[in-house]
Amino acid sequence: MNRKTFINNSGRLILLGGLVYLTGSIIFKRKVSASGKYVWQIDPFKCMQCGRCSTQCVREISAVKCVHAYQLCGYCDLCGGYFKPNTHKLNTGAESQLCPTGALKRKYVEEPFFEYKIDEKLCNACGKCVKGCGSFGNGSLQLQIRHDLCQNCNECSIARMCPTNAISRVPIEAAYQIKGDFKNPALTNPK
Amino acid sequence: MVVLAAVIVVLIVTDVMNSRPDKRPDNPYEYTVDQFTSVDTALVKYTETIDFTFGDLDLRGIAFANNRLYLVEDNYLMVVSPEGEKLAKSELPESPGCVTASSDGIYIGFRNYIGQYDPDGRLVKNWEPLNDTTVLTSLAVTDSTLFAADAGNRRVLRYKTNGILSGSFTGKRDSADLHGFIIPSPYFDLAVNSDGELWVVNTGKHAFENYTFDGQLRGFWENAAMTIDGFSGCCNPAHMAVLPDGSFVTAEKGMVRIKIHKASGEVLAVVAPPEEFKGETYAPDLAVSPSGDIYALDYERKMIRVFQLKK
Amino acid sequence: MKWLKIILFLLPLLLAFSDLEAQQRFPKPEFHTKYTQPTPTTPEPRGVGMEFVDVLVLLVVLSLTSWFAIKKRSRNGILLLTVFSAIYFGFYRNGCICSVGSVQNVALAFADPKYVISLYALLFFLLPLIFSLFFGRVFCGAACPLGAIQDLLIYKPITIPAWLRKTLGFIPYLYLGLAVLYAATGTEFIICRYDPFIGIYRMNGPHLMIYLGIAFLLIGLFIARPYCRFFCPFGAILNVFSRFSRRHLSVFPTKCIQCKLCTTACPFEAIDFPDEEKTKPDTKSNTRRFILYMALIPVLMLAGSWIGSKSHVFLSKAHPDVYLAELLISHPELKTDSKNIDIQTFLASGKSLETLVAEAQVIRDKFYTGSWILGAFLGLVIGLMAMNQIIFRRREDYQANKGNCYSCGRCLDYCPVE
Repeated sequence: MNRKTFINNSGRLILLGGLVYLTGSIIFKRKVSASGKYVWQIDPFKCMQCGRCSTQCVREISAVKCVHAYQLCGYCDLCGGYFKPNTHKLNTGAESQLCPTGALKRKYVEEPFFEYKIDEKLCNACGKCVKGCGSFGNGSLQLQIRHDLCQNCNECSIARMCPTNAISRVPIEAAYQIKGDFKNPALTNPK
Repeated sequence: MVVLAAVIVVLIVTDVMNSRPDKRPDNPYEYTVDQFTSVDTALVKYTETIDFTFGDLDLRGIAFANNRLYLVEDNYLMVVSPEGEKLAKSELPESPGCVTASSDGIYIGFRNYIGQYDPDGRLVKNWEPLNDTTVLTSLAVTDSTLFAADAGNRRVLRYKTNGILSGSFTGKRDSADLHGFIIPSPYFDLAVNSDGELWVVNTGKHAFENYTFDGQLRGFWENAAMTIDGFSGCCNPAHMAVLPDGSFVTAEKGMVRIKIHKASGEVLAVVAPPEEFKGETYAPDLAVSPSGDIYALDYERKMIRVFQLKK
Repeated sequence: MKWLKIILFLLPLLLAFSDLEAQQRFPKPEFHTKYTQPTPTTPEPRGVGMEFVDVLVLLVVLSLTSWFAIKKRSRNGILLLTVFSAIYFGFYRNGCICSVGSVQNVALAFADPKYVISLYALLFFLLPLIFSLFFGRVFCGAACPLGAIQDLLIYKPITIPAWLRKTLGFIPYLYLGLAVLYAATGTEFIICRYDPFIGIYRMNGPHLMIYLGIAFLLIGLFIARPYCRFFCPFGAILNVFSRFSRRHLSVFPTKCIQCKLCTTACPFEAIDFPDEEKTKPDTKSNTRRFILYMALIPVLMLAGSWIGSKSHVFLSKAHPDVYLAELLISHPELKTDSKNIDIQTFLASGKSLETLVAEAQVIRDKFYTGSWILGAFLGLVIGLMAMNQIIFRRREDYQANKGNCYSCGRCLDYCPVE
């Protein structure tokens, strides 16, 4: 075996050894998820509706959408998330609505209750309704990352800009954190 | 070629510079109610004089009677002097929601039952528990009648002070109405004023309703508005108390402010404008002393804030 | 029969419990009309387990490329695989997760005990490296989606002078070092952020990504594979690994007839020319120069680590917590700036400035360790690159450079030898 092949073989052995060490230390000392699927999730209790979910997503129309946790909704006539503050006419006129795209729809149920539903195709994740509902209502509207739209990037661009670090990587089994799921004790709103 | 390379470098550098925390763009979808948070200082007739804190306890309710402050927090009932001195402390079996007191005793509302205690804080007896959907949010006692506001079932219960339930009503303005009290969130307050009138806050309608003791509506006024003369949001005022002259002190949640309204509805004065509650969203619970001092239980700062008329 | 009775008995109990669970903390209003409350939808992402199909596809593509490059010697086969990778890993899978970015995941997993790395990210990192140890840079040739799109858009490649090529060849190591540093400290995944081609593959993206992508592709028309040659951090690793590969694509099947046709085929100047000196040069001065350069390496490493440690403050500013802490210390008047969302959120969070500064200090210390390692690494790279220049290698044939050749196979068709 000449010098060249010797260097070649020993170099290869060393590099292989390095790879084995790296892999071994990660497999044995760190957590490796065999299920493989981790997705991004917004913690609705940390979110402060800064509007970056709408502008920072890599997709042109953000993969974040507003979701309604109906369990928590008060079905109010004067919905804090639907109407602009201090509107006098409680109707579906565009000038009284908070939503810039008209994605939040209002439907009469019975006096004086109304159902509010989000048309996801129109929602742009600006968070105005979430803020309104959270400050002046029950907080049943929340922003959530929709996984049929989300690209599941290695590093979420929105997560990087989130001022409260509300976006984190979670296993796919716990992909959605929707308020009002009282089976999950972590989701009960304090007082 | 070089131009393109330069373009790439410029793009990367600009991106790095623009994502620094102080160079990021503003929120184009900002929801602001700033035009309503500033209050004309001429209207603010009260000033905050003292604050009491009791460590890190999670305070839940406040009442003023017998020249004493009665505070309930997660595990304890505390009797405190108006100057903030702790006089007595006793343990509670579970987390309470509200408290009221008279010269005969202290009544503490737990989630679905009422506990009757003597003026020194010892348990007399726990009353019959109500159904699972009951959420008691407020109590008011007068002579031998006690009223309990049940937000879960949207009704007002009437008890005799020995614990016997003697009636309830749901506050329908018209018998054809489908619903009476509209209570979207667990805030439902009531009080009995010095004239013996029962006033109930119908939060969903932003209304103060005056009922007879057996539930007949005598009169009401309502005002839903973000401006200072009305009640903001979907269900306000979350807490209220009656002043000795019959006017109401109200505390709103969301855009937190404490105001005084005449018994007929017009706003009289502002006790604490929203800037006193920066960063908070929960309405303080209220209690009033016979001299007109207002005790506000600030849940988020975990303290009692006392407001008195400005000199 | 007995089981049926038990089930019928238990069923109402179970239903009763499920009722309790569905109960809300604060009850809904009672609706008198027949109103059913809708439930929020939770759309599922692409099927779980499909990512292992991706690993399998990667394995198959790598194996096929190795076979086409070394055994079958078919440029067409490799071209087909390149197109397939561009379509599958690029347009279908939208270019994420890719092996280039997996370096960061592995670096972060190595440095941070709390980070959970997924097995398939680890596999995407390992497979190309293992294949390069045995068959050369077959990953670059046909499997990498970034390489594929650049390779397919080569129009009129120009020759770059060797000195420029070698100088620019330092950038991938710098990029690799910075990427590992920033990933390991949990700052950012810079490879992902400045990935030029993912915007093209998604046909959607923020302005920066699209402009970068177009710029790179335009350059790529004339300078073949600009990202691969002068930026790719994974390529830097593959370069080193490939030099020790067991087998590698060979331009000629049996022997070289010095026709130089292959040099016109390769757009990447990856083919080494035979040495021009007919006689072996003076061994003594050669050995002395070798030892000198060898001794220079530790000096360069020390210099590098010194520079690295000095620059750790500057590098750490990329971390948002560190930047915020510095900002608030140097500009305390910004605390009253109500427009700045980040500052206002921090102030409202209740965390004291002292805690933030303490946390920033911990991160900065991590950067200190990382920066001097980075400096030493870069010093080593420069030293080794210099040594590479002066090591005499007897070359008699025109052969693919084991480190730089991407195993694209263009030269295979040009070589007239059977």
